[in-house]
Amino acid sequence: MTTAEAAIGQPIRVRSLWRDALRRLVRNRLSVIGLTITLLFVFLAVFGPVLAPYPYQQQDLRRTSELPTGDHWLGTDDLGRDFLSRVMWGARTAIIVATFVTSIAVTLGILLGGFAAYLGGFADWIVGRLVDVAQSVPTIMLAILVDTAVKKPVANSFEAAYQLTGFEFFKGSILLDYLITLAAIAAVSWPAYARLIRGQILSLRVQGYVEAARATGVPGGRILLRHIVPNALGPIIVAATFGFSTAMILEASLSYLGIGIQPPAASWGAMINDNLHQWRNRPYLVAVPAVVLGIATLAINFLGDGLNDALNPRARSATRN
Amino acid sequence: MIRYIANRLLITIPVVLLVILITFTLGFYAPGDPIVLIYNENLTNMTPEDLVRLRQQYGLDRPYWVQYVDYMAKVLRGDLGTSIATKQPVLDMIRVGLPITLQLGLAAGLLLIVVGIPMGVLAALRHNTWMDYSIVSSALFLRTIPIFVLAPMMMIAFVLQLGILDVPLGWQGLFDQRVILPIVLLAAGPLADVVRQTRVAVLEVLSQDYISTARAKGLTTHAIVIRHVMRNALIPIVTSLGLIVNALLHGSVFLDRVFSLPGFGSIVINSIQLLDFPVILGATIFSALLVIAANIIVDLIYPFIDPRVKLD
Repeated sequence: MTTAEAAIGQPIRVRSLWRDALRRLVRNRLSVIGLTITLLFVFLAVFGPVLAPYPYQQQDLRRTSELPTGDHWLGTDDLGRDFLSRVMWGARTAIIVATFVTSIAVTLGILLGGFAAYLGGFADWIVGRLVDVAQSVPTIMLAILVDTAVKKPVANSFEAAYQLTGFEFFKGSILLDYLITLAAIAAVSWPAYARLIRGQILSLRVQGYVEAARATGVPGGRILLRHIVPNALGPIIVAATFGFSTAMILEASLSYLGIGIQPPAASWGAMINDNLHQWRNRPYLVAVPAVVLGIATLAINFLGDGLNDALNPRARSATRN
Repeated sequence: MIRYIANRLLITIPVVLLVILITFTLGFYAPGDPIVLIYNENLTNMTPEDLVRLRQQYGLDRPYWVQYVDYMAKVLRGDLGTSIATKQPVLDMIRVGLPITLQLGLAAGLLLIVVGIPMGVLAALRHNTWMDYSIVSSALFLRTIPIFVLAPMMMIAFVLQLGILDVPLGWQGLFDQRVILPIVLLAAGPLADVVRQTRVAVLEVLSQDYISTARAKGLTTHAIVIRHVMRNALIPIVTSLGLIVNALLHGSVFLDRVFSLPGFGSIVINSIQLLDFPVILGATIFSALLVIAANIIVDLIYPFIDPRVKLD
């Protein structure tokens, strides 16, 4: 095609791998919807505090448990807090936790998966067994265990740091909740990435073009950057997208169970749990955070499916047969 | 065959030991020291010397490795520790709660097979039609939505809006309408995997030459499906057994809270609220052992139903 165009004197349009992928992504209607909704939630996470009609923790004890009115579009909760504002702040919690967890877990996965693949031997064995453990223990149980176990030690060290430095920074219990939740979810998330990255490196290393590069004397670091990383990136991006929604669900799960992000901070999971006893009288207090969380996870998964089709076109034809 | 089983069990041992090591380490550094908790409750009639003496008596002042070996030996003998809150052995608590969860899981597994396999076969027979797409996407939808979102939504839909079911809270045995929603919800998660596996297996069979032969002989689609295709659906059934165990333990943690069920999940939820570490540790190890056992059983059944799976 391009040679034919060049032959008749038209400029050659350079189409990179990534531009091709973007075209495939945009052509898929569901993934565009997913991308739009995901961006909307990111927007809410960034600007929610400005847009929200009330501060998330502001209580109005004269106006508790109100039905939706002009002042409070979704009514107020048990403590007279504006429910719409809390749902909007919940987006910030969900997106922040999922972003940090995914970055930490992917970094850990690249480091440990890379070590396992390149060092082999005992390093490979121990990473492999850790992945086995993560697959044997139900994820939620492991996350609960890590969350509850690190809580006291981390709180104590924060208290000590506050005594030592006097920084207000170390005093906030909300920051503490976030850190502990991040640690717990990242701890259960990295093995999946490590396994993927180890497999990617092992299979790419024996590809013909890598051997050709090595045979022509390209140094190892350059092979890694020019050949292995770009080819491994597609599956990692797809896994990170699905992992993002998994991290969001895990945050909501922990908060739903009363650990994780705790009141007064706003989390969709905690809101579902806190209002569960009211499901008969005021079902929307349960339904709104539940539906919002459901939409967010679906949107990100649509996006992940689209990215998978766009970045791994060969894998697509294999699974869709 | 015996070598295959031995190998399969052998690679499990380090995983089991590592599970115990990780849980023990987390518990060791967590505020789980029961003696300190008892001491804090009885500050008036206990002296700091009592605390030191009691910790010595229970061996809590010994080095980390000594305590680990001790703990591991206990776990392997079936002793998962004693709850701080209820003063009961953890295993006894699990023995009360687990049967309820397992009954729900068994029913959910049956539902999974009865609904998931025909859906997968239908999707494959109507390959690339709206029927195929809607079956696959609705199963994926059910898997994507977290169970603690689906549960209250279904409760609102079926009890408040449609009025089909009564308030489904509590446990009155398996033959009671209260169990309908929990069973449906437990089956909803792994449904996507069963449908996909059945669909792929059936599509593969349909492309085989012997199916063309059967068609050429003039067999009806119905007869082909019953005689040739359904046999291959055995594999997804076995796989779903492994999946349901993990989904069951995960789901029960959330469903027991929504539906006030006294199952395995309720033990976990209570222990989180009271920070009852022996129970959290014991339940984690127990759930891991259950998943590992289920995976071994599935791996041991595969070679019997699918001769293509090599034994070594």
